[in-house]
Amino acid sequence: MNLNVLTIKEAHKLLEKKEITSVELVKAHFNEIKKRDKDIRAFLSLNEEGALEAAKKVDERISRGEPIEMLAGIPAAIKDNISIKSAKVTAASKILENYIAPYDATVIKKLKEEEAIFIGKTNMDEFAMGSSTENSAFGPTRNPVDLERVPGGSSGGSAAAVKAGFSVYALGSDTGGSIRQPAGFCGVVGFKPTYGAVSRHGLIAMASSLDQIGPIARNVDDAAAVFEIIRGVDELDSTSVSPATAGWQDYWDSTLDIEEIKIGVPREYFIHGLNPEIEKNIKSVISKLEKEGAKIEEISLPYSEWALATYYIIMPAEASANLARFDGIKYGYSTMNKEEKLQSLLDVYLQSRGKGFGTEVRQRIMLGTYILSAGYYDAYYTRAQRVRKLIKQDFDHAFKEVDVILTPTSPTTAFKFGEKTQDPLSMYLADIYTVSVNLAGIPGISIPIEEVDGLPVGLQLIGKNFDDVKLLKIAKIIETLSK
Amino acid sequence: MALTKKEIEKIAELARLELGEKEKEKFAEDLSSVLGYVQKLSEVNIEKVEPITGGTSLESVMRKDDETKCISDSQMREQILRASPNRKDDYFKVPSILE
Repeated sequence: MNLNVLTIKEAHKLLEKKEITSVELVKAHFNEIKKRDKDIRAFLSLNEEGALEAAKKVDERISRGEPIEMLAGIPAAIKDNISIKSAKVTAASKILENYIAPYDATVIKKLKEEEAIFIGKTNMDEFAMGSSTENSAFGPTRNPVDLERVPGGSSGGSAAAVKAGFSVYALGSDTGGSIRQPAGFCGVVGFKPTYGAVSRHGLIAMASSLDQIGPIARNVDDAAAVFEIIRGVDELDSTSVSPATAGWQDYWDSTLDIEEIKIGVPREYFIHGLNPEIEKNIKSVISKLEKEGAKIEEISLPYSEWALATYYIIMPAEASANLARFDGIKYGYSTMNKEEKLQSLLDVYLQSRGKGFGTEVRQRIMLGTYILSAGYYDAYYTRAQRVRKLIKQDFDHAFKEVDVILTPTSPTTAFKFGEKTQDPLSMYLADIYTVSVNLAGIPGISIPIEEVDGLPVGLQLIGKNFDDVKLLKIAKIIETLSK
Repeated sequence: MALTKKEIEKIAELARLELGEKEKEKFAEDLSSVLGYVQKLSEVNIEKVEPITGGTSLESVMRKDDETKCISDSQMREQILRASPNRKDDYFKVPSILE
């Protein structure tokens, strides 16, 4: 039996039936990592000892005949901007190279209560800023499907780990597409829940009005299983919302009938820049859905054209404020000299930040600082917040007519290393179909459909605020149809 | 929208970032190109549109201060202090602030 392709549900059943042990499952994943991760480099740090110890505990419970939780004993990879107590959390930055998390992120606490197994921390673009993992201070991750190509980003390590059979599922974070785009590039499922559905306490913040933690998994069922564990209100994240307010249903309760579904296809997402082969595959899914009885409606999201520009004002503005905390004084990389008495405080700031942050991070801090500076604030930031409102209204309007919106996840398949690193704007365009979802705060999921030239293609489904479960159910229907 | 080297130096100072000479030129070029792109927003009529100020419509969320949580954990407290680059007993040590 190949233990490196199991879904959560399959692994859970095998554990319950005592056909495999958690220790075997964990060992199989570390064996695969040892064989192939020197080429793929999905991980920044591994937790072999801790994982095996945790697996033994789960096995003991099973052998005593105790019932186990859905995620118990099953390996998970965690993006390295999410804190696990007493483990390094670097955000793939030199400035946090040796930083040890003093507490668990709320999502980690919840996974620990499930007795999930943490395999290791995954690579990413530094501070989640990028779409290829090429901005990691510790070197890029390679796409397991084609080692010459990027895995996408910023959660590239998480997507690659799931695809390569290094872990059964992973957690990522998504500020403008950082879960969905790498999931699309690697051929796995990536789900960004509604803003506020999952606590961000313990996530190293990039842009706080956009950031969201979510699962990367082998199929929609697994993404749903992880989501149902990590969601919920948390007093340590004041933007999180209680399930009662959200009106959540249970994913497993009932299925949806395809004939009840209304799917919107926004014409603005099928214009210039979209690879025609991707378009063909997306359209073929749409006609299949129509044939099966789903209602397909062409819709318009007229402000889509300005989403990327809006994003590239709001995101750097918030990031520059969030990253002000890295000052070389309290933690992280510092040029502070313990002996020298005459060192100036300003020099410690300038040098620690100048040397500790990589190029893209410094660039975005500069951009945000400029945008928020006196005289420019209204022209850039306030204007962007107003356009953001119009973008959100586009979606509000559309969801009066349809249940979900169907688009490509990205305009291209995984690109080659170095292809877009010279010009920041060309890299930013990789997120053109995903950023609007974060600006509107709504949920989005990428699922793999038919490949183009041997490279994975992602289909994005976008749902209404807190309609996460319905979105997942419709995603499941499409997943089944396109198999 | 082209930023000058002088403007780049000013922004870097505000952002507390030390930049190399070559980098200043590269940043002037890259930031100008991104700012040129986001100028696109001036095409949008935003009259009478209220700005969104966050990701949710929640307002003034409060919680009780509870000293049994978080920082009262002595292990966590020690880990936080241990992460500091320069420490004296239970204090963060910093260079003198007054010149």
